Amino acid sequence: MMRTPTYGPRLIGGAAFGVMAIFFVIPLIFMIVVSFYQPDPMGFYKVDFVWENYGKFFSSFYYTVSLRSLYSSALGAVLVVALAFPLVLFVSDLGRKWQLFWIILLLSLMCLSEVIMGFAWLILMSESAGIPRLLEWVGLWDNPRSLSPSFGAMMIGLVFLGFSIVSLILYPAVARRDRSIEEAAITLGTPPAMVFYKVLLPTFRTSLISVTLTMFVYLLGVFVMPTMLGRPQDWTMTVIISDKALGDANLPLGAALAVVMLIVTVIVLIASALLTQRRTA
Amino acid sequence: MRRVYLIVIAALMIAPFVVVLGVSFGASRNISFPPDALSAVWYTELLTEPDWLAAIGRSLLIAAIAGVIATTLALAINYVLWRTGSGFAKATFALGLGPFLLPPIILALGASLFWAEVGWYGRMEATIISHGVFFVTLPLVIIARGFAALTDEVIEAAQMIGATPAQVFRTVIFPLIAPYVCTGFALVAIISVNEYLIANMISGFVVETLPIKIFNNVRYGYSPVVASASMLFVALTVTILLILSRITDLVALFGTSKDT
Repeated sequence: MMRTPTYGPRLIGGAAFGVMAIFFVIPLIFMIVVSFYQPDPMGFYKVDFVWENYGKFFSSFYYTVSLRSLYSSALGAVLVVALAFPLVLFVSDLGRKWQLFWIILLLSLMCLSEVIMGFAWLILMSESAGIPRLLEWVGLWDNPRSLSPSFGAMMIGLVFLGFSIVSLILYPAVARRDRSIEEAAITLGTPPAMVFYKVLLPTFRTSLISVTLTMFVYLLGVFVMPTMLGRPQDWTMTVIISDKALGDANLPLGAALAVVMLIVTVIVLIASALLTQRRTA
Repeated sequence: MRRVYLIVIAALMIAPFVVVLGVSFGASRNISFPPDALSAVWYTELLTEPDWLAAIGRSLLIAAIAGVIATTLALAINYVLWRTGSGFAKATFALGLGPFLLPPIILALGASLFWAEVGWYGRMEATIISHGVFFVTLPLVIIARGFAALTDEVIEAAQMIGATPAQVFRTVIFPLIAPYVCTGFALVAIISVNEYLIANMISGFVVETLPIKIFNNVRYGYSPVVASASMLFVALTVTILLILSRITDLVALFGTSKDT
């Protein structure tokens, strides 16, 4: 390794840092600044310093919306991880060819637009195509109706969305795990379910908790699934923020709500980081 | 047991797209599955209607340039970190992980306010730059793996015969990490093509990308063209990933092999 810092690396490093600072950090700081401005019905905002926008957050409406967002994100995160962890374990034991198949499938789903996944599920749950029609055809449902919009449909959408991401995050650690303890347990005649609870779950406890927290933050920010598959009473904070900012053109209020969300996110991320650090240290 | 679980999950992951595929080849204007008669009329409409073509073109343009911006940034940050190992370089790397960790709505609103203040609100350049900067995380992490795999011997050999740092980079480092750079670029391009929220909040009312157009269509009464547009996306995404799996070892990249 070359450790003779010259102007070249410094210049490149400074430029890269500058780009990140200008287009990533400054917008966030500016958003915090705007959250203290006065809303202006005629334009964007009036420069000011008021706490009014944050005051509104504590009104019953936003309070309910936030609690609901926290609930659906937490539920979604737990469901996603509970479904994805066994999958990753099984896939990691497959042959190389099938592992590649799963990675491509998961990568495709991770990259695919929320809009398209939402649309696909919308069709799958509609009465003219998809599950209701299938049930009618099988004879299980006489009078099929559309399954969306509903809370359940929205949760399915959220779980579908998060599934590939969680699987890909967990994959490296699971694939590279030390298999000797499991193998020993199996040789000694431990039933597979027992191996799962006594060996695998404790081994991956930290990564599972940390990925659940990551997913929680991620689902908090999902926009398309709630609008497409959920009823207005299921709408999450993200939808409300976008609605305030674009629909009502009340940017300071939208910014204040986003700052509250930012604070929650940062707290969760720090908690997650501390947890992982304590474990590895 | 294991096999049943794998098959059920795979089926659930693929099922929505099978239905969309069926709808996109249906002949009637009403969405139904299975389709009553097969027809490619919605694909013809998608590929001849100027509105849809413009949206496709815009999305591809944004994705290509955003991909270049993100990979260049990621390459620069990784190179400096590798050369100097300084605290500043580490901090820049950590900063690059940030956008992935924050909910997109926060990035989107911040960027939208920022571009409005700069006066670029509603311009395509704004969407391109924001996509490029916000999606830096994946190439950053992937290219870091490339640098980690570099061995000191080749670099030292190059220096020994008198290569300047720039020459070392061009002739030794870059060829070795090129697969990682390609992977990073492809992933950013795919994510950018598919991204809705940030593009919509920065300039969605002027620069209508494909996801924005699909979303608006779904919200305000839709025709099966949306299904064919969606399938185009799915095909594009899967094709790029398949090509990628030929160029780089995706299984190793995601950490399976014991040696990495």
